[in-house]
Amino acid sequence: MKPLKLLAFFIIPLGIIIAAVPPDRVRHFRLTADELLQEAGAGVQFVSPDAVADMLVQKDPSLRLIDVRTPEEYDSFHMENAINIPLSSLLSDEYTDILNQDAYMNIFYSNGSVYANQAWMITRQLGYENNFVLEGGLNYWFGNILSPQAPSQTSPNEEFAKYDFRKSAAAALGGGNIVTTEGSATAVRAAKPPVTSKAKKKPSGGC
Amino acid sequence: MGPLAPNEIISENTNFLLAFFIGIAFGWVLESSGFSSSRKLAGIFYGYDAVVLKVFFTGAITCMLGLLFMSLFGWVDLDLIYVNPTYLTSAIIGGVVMGAGFIMGGFCPGTSFCGAAIGKIDGMVFVAGLFLGVYGFAFTYPLWEKMYMAKYLGEPKVSEKLGMSDGLFGLLMILAAIGMFMVAEWAERKFPREEY
Repeated sequence: MKPLKLLAFFIIPLGIIIAAVPPDRVRHFRLTADELLQEAGAGVQFVSPDAVADMLVQKDPSLRLIDVRTPEEYDSFHMENAINIPLSSLLSDEYTDILNQDAYMNIFYSNGSVYANQAWMITRQLGYENNFVLEGGLNYWFGNILSPQAPSQTSPNEEFAKYDFRKSAAAALGGGNIVTTEGSATAVRAAKPPVTSKAKKKPSGGC
Repeated sequence: MGPLAPNEIISENTNFLLAFFIGIAFGWVLESSGFSSSRKLAGIFYGYDAVVLKVFFTGAITCMLGLLFMSLFGWVDLDLIYVNPTYLTSAIIGGVVMGAGFIMGGFCPGTSFCGAAIGKIDGMVFVAGLFLGVYGFAFTYPLWEKMYMAKYLGEPKVSEKLGMSDGLFGLLMILAAIGMFMVAEWAERKFPREEY
């Protein structure tokens, strides 16, 4: 067979195949159900409230708190510098750049950890990384970080160290003084999620 | 997964190392296909030898098919592939200048280095001319800048402009290539040349 015929014989069918398949809609890095189960089982998504408190006190610039509750709940109280992405609009295009990135450590929180966990699971399934869940949610945060209970006298030293840290963190984070917009003239403006342009790194090149 | 460097799977330096080896392989293929002879390249313009057209077009459609299939399998993100930005005026003028240079010199930039590497004097002269052109352009850049930057179109794709899928455009491209090869082979029979 002549080379040209041979080439045509192979390459035209390939062309027909590629013309017939729908264009690429594949999301890359999608996890399998097995992998997701394994990650969820190991609890890799949880960040302890103490770690979050520490980052907040240190003003860690890589920390980004994401409130997945409804806008009303968010308006009545939200953690310092948190942005609001309600669970129901998690998949909206405007939040893709916030959720799918590698610069920040996104930490989802809700009242408990159920909704935050759902948000993590959805984003993880999409293959996004750097999203985490505040362990215990806001309820634990209030009960233990902002108003820590003194351990009993017989507790081990670690408990006292933890208590001391929480006490100072609570002081730094304004424990007890809940930021509320209700009936307040100086309402805290809801932080808008930052709109970032897709900063995809392009290689330079040419002929 | 891919592309490897923009996704930081391999570092920029590894990328250059790979480019170095691919470049060597490219030069070797050029040389072993006889591209270091300027008559080969000139042949395409006179119709007696269409190897250049066939090799480069086969390369292009292989690459195109490879990328489309890899994208289909989820191995490469086509959005991250570098697409040369189009400045229409400079593309046309550059195309004319390059084409004229090809016919007159009998080399393209790649093959001139091949020719120079195996000791061909015309290849070396061509490389020297290439550098003269590059430096000449760079030092007089302010004179050209306006023209150079004119008619910026972004990074358009023909398939997008025509409103068809990449795959369909790929198929048309393949058919066009096969058609061109057939015409080229006909021209080779029509304008044969004994020794070159």
